[in-house]
Amino acid sequence: MKGSEVRIEGIDKRFGDFHALKDVSVVVRKGEFFSLLGPSGCGKTTLLRIIAGFETPSAGLVYVDGANILPLPPNRRHVNTIFQNYALFPHLTVFENVAFPLRLKKLSRQEINRKVEDYLTLTKLTGQEYKKPAQLSGGQKQRVAIARALVNEPDVLLLDEPLSALDAKLRQHMLIELDTIHDKIGITFIYVTHDQQEALSVSDHIAVMNEGRVVQVGNPTEIYESPEDIFVANFIGEANLFHGTVSSVEGEMVSVDVKDLGILNVTMEPGDLEGMRDFKPGKKVSITVRPEKINIAIEKPPDLQPDVFSFFPCVVEEVIYNGFQSKFFVKVSGGAQGPETGPGNGNFTVKAFKQHVSYYSAGPEIKWKDRAWIWWKADDAYLVEVHDA
Amino acid sequence: MKKSRFSRLVFFLTLLFLFMPLFILVIYAFNESKNMVWTGFSLVWFERLFTGSRTIWRAFRNSILIALSSAATATVLGTLGAIGINWYNFKLKKYIQAVSLLPLILPEIIIGVSMLIFFVGIDLQLGLLRIYIAHTTFNLPFVLLVVISRLDEFDFSIIEAARDLGAHEHQTLLRIIIPMALPGIISAFLIAVTMSLEDFVITSFVSGPGSSTLPVHIYSMIRTGVSPVVNALSVVLLGGTISLVFLMRPFLKYIAHE
Amino acid sequence: MKKNYGVIYTLPTGLWVSLFFLVPVIIVFLYSFLERGELGGVVWSFSLKAYQDMLSPTFLHILVITLLISLAATALTLLIALPCGYYMARSKKKSLYLFLIIIPFLTNFLIRIYAWQAILGNSGFLNNFLIRLGLIEDHIQFLYNEWAVIIVLVYSYLPYAILPLYSTIEKFDFSLLEAARDLGTSHPGSIMRVMIPNIRAGIVSAVLFTFIPTFGAYAVPKLVGGGKNSFMLGNIIADEILVNRNWPFASATSILITLVTTAALGLYMFANKSAARAAQRKKI
Repeated sequence: MKGSEVRIEGIDKRFGDFHALKDVSVVVRKGEFFSLLGPSGCGKTTLLRIIAGFETPSAGLVYVDGANILPLPPNRRHVNTIFQNYALFPHLTVFENVAFPLRLKKLSRQEINRKVEDYLTLTKLTGQEYKKPAQLSGGQKQRVAIARALVNEPDVLLLDEPLSALDAKLRQHMLIELDTIHDKIGITFIYVTHDQQEALSVSDHIAVMNEGRVVQVGNPTEIYESPEDIFVANFIGEANLFHGTVSSVEGEMVSVDVKDLGILNVTMEPGDLEGMRDFKPGKKVSITVRPEKINIAIEKPPDLQPDVFSFFPCVVEEVIYNGFQSKFFVKVSGGAQGPETGPGNGNFTVKAFKQHVSYYSAGPEIKWKDRAWIWWKADDAYLVEVHDA
Repeated sequence: MKKSRFSRLVFFLTLLFLFMPLFILVIYAFNESKNMVWTGFSLVWFERLFTGSRTIWRAFRNSILIALSSAATATVLGTLGAIGINWYNFKLKKYIQAVSLLPLILPEIIIGVSMLIFFVGIDLQLGLLRIYIAHTTFNLPFVLLVVISRLDEFDFSIIEAARDLGAHEHQTLLRIIIPMALPGIISAFLIAVTMSLEDFVITSFVSGPGSSTLPVHIYSMIRTGVSPVVNALSVVLLGGTISLVFLMRPFLKYIAHE
Repeated sequence: MKKNYGVIYTLPTGLWVSLFFLVPVIIVFLYSFLERGELGGVVWSFSLKAYQDMLSPTFLHILVITLLISLAATALTLLIALPCGYYMARSKKKSLYLFLIIIPFLTNFLIRIYAWQAILGNSGFLNNFLIRLGLIEDHIQFLYNEWAVIIVLVYSYLPYAILPLYSTIEKFDFSLLEAARDLGTSHPGSIMRVMIPNIRAGIVSAVLFTFIPTFGAYAVPKLVGGGKNSFMLGNIIADEILVNRNWPFASATSILITLVTTAALGLYMFANKSAARAAQRKKI
């Protein structure tokens, strides 16, 4: 496999009073598509700029294939960057932009022509060679930036929110193309984004960052299905959160007492109970349930067992029809594990998303102000730790 | 709508006010008589300008020499300065910014007087060298402003991209920054040439005998009263200015920027 | 690493302006506190004589005349430049008009003054024209007084005022005027209440660009002025340097002009800052 391993150890960066990166350590494996995901200001771009060589960290080391690269200036690192605004040289043609790094290396004319053509073909830019950047569309500029960064055959490609200047449709398209290019050339990609959809759809691994820290590293499924803290749960996708206290642990089943709602059961994965996550009775936790895991219907299905399912009566507050799905915002009253307690004016607004795979087969249509039932399986809920402030 | 009719009237009267003196000047350059009374068409004043006034042409040569050399110096220094001020942060940046823009703000006479006193103090007697130094000094801020306004159109990430792709600082400067800023640099140079050719006040203070420039020479001609040779000279200069402006047209937008 | 290059790039400029601009200005400042030398130059002993001399009635008269002339020229320039900038900004031929305003501005400064000498002189164009029409019998003395100075100053600095006004008015969102009309203001009312506050920065720059050079004017009063009502501070400096050889006094007068200029500039920056702060408040 081509590409390099990037090992970031204990990176710290301060800008005056602002602590941009706090002891960040991450390992990016050879040839993988790695994403740094987080809200703006979380330090992801600063980390990328440190790897590229535009910023010097206050502490810590960056190894590429075992060698510390921090003493090297950007022009001597085998790392290239795709900038957020492309940073194409406005006075040079597409061809000359891509040829720029090769000319610096003083390659022969034939070699330059061959390589530039190769990479223009890879990025589907043949025929555009003699245009200036100002004559290109956003997507084309993006391709030139990709070709220019790759023509040097770097070990690592850094991408700083490369799609943020494109419109939504083009963004989807370019993302798939980036993924294809990654598969073809096989070098390490480090991709900075604030868009969780982008990160989830193409990454091998994702580091979720917040306030200068890496909060969780994992593959997309791990990040989405078992977030380790409330920030990740909230930032990635949408989530319903219930705060409560662990009341009992029986085998894989953890019961949590949620104020005004009663006891909710959560089934843990076999591996989760040991190791880092020890949820003892009395511990404060949050339960997260993804909206698409919550079912909603006018009638409660007859066969729901309280051990395996959590279910509540509710009132529909808002229905948002989205084409491929409907989003329901419902109000749940407290203390309900059975049909006896009717819907009340409880404090819990719960989001339930229903895919329209079988819109009409799932019973009568649910409308605004309807009384309905929601339920979810204990396996689909998971616990996250509450960091005491 | 009333307002716009009023402003149109003011605008065209202003154009008349601005151009009428120049028209009169040009017309009377072709007058036979020495007075401002039309007596007939003649090219006699042009003849006298081109054959009978060698001092004018020496002053003209001085002006060109100083304009080109001081504009070139100011353009080189100012372009580098603009790159440093626009894209880098360092300790003395505020100081350099303030001091290099100040000559733009102070009335010319202050610069003229202080330079005269300075040159007398260091006993620099060469008139042309004094004028060259003075002109470079007052041209620097113009070059800085114009080049900065051009550089402002680009993002610093372009410089980072060049570094990222393997360029050294000097390669970045020669292959990226200067070609990119070239329209701004050319217009800065042209402005500096114009300012230098134009300057009278500062030059008249620092120039010594035998080192007069064209404006200083014109001054000595017109302080004694009207002479049609000056009219003829004005026609030549106007022609020169207008062709220079046409030359500068593509770069005018960077002048309007400041 | 970046830091080094910034210093390297700006070092030549920094050294040049420090040596050839800042040092001379500091010398002038020092000279203003010294005694005058017999044959020009200075004697190195501290003296406030130059500043005491400023309190003489002659000097105060010149100071007042200078202020009046430059204020009058500034006011007149602004009155002409405002409608011009407005018309240009709203017109479809913006670049042509801009070009027309700039052309006379690029004609040699002395040639422009000379043109007015040729027009206003005793045997100049205007007098000949009026005599030819039979409106006057003998020539009128148009030149060599404060009015000639004011006219030529306005002529010289008009483009300096029109350009900044044009560029701010051009950026002004004219639909705001329609909104003001829609809300019930009259047309002049909408201009006064909506447009003027929004183009304030342009007005202030225009005032500054005219006031500063006219306050330090030297060539114009020298060539078209005359008598004691158009002798300005700039002329005093030149006379004291070149004729009377009183360098400390010339230096002190230069310092005075510099102070007035800097004060005007300070006011400008203060106004800009408070405008920015007001804008910020509005946003919140």
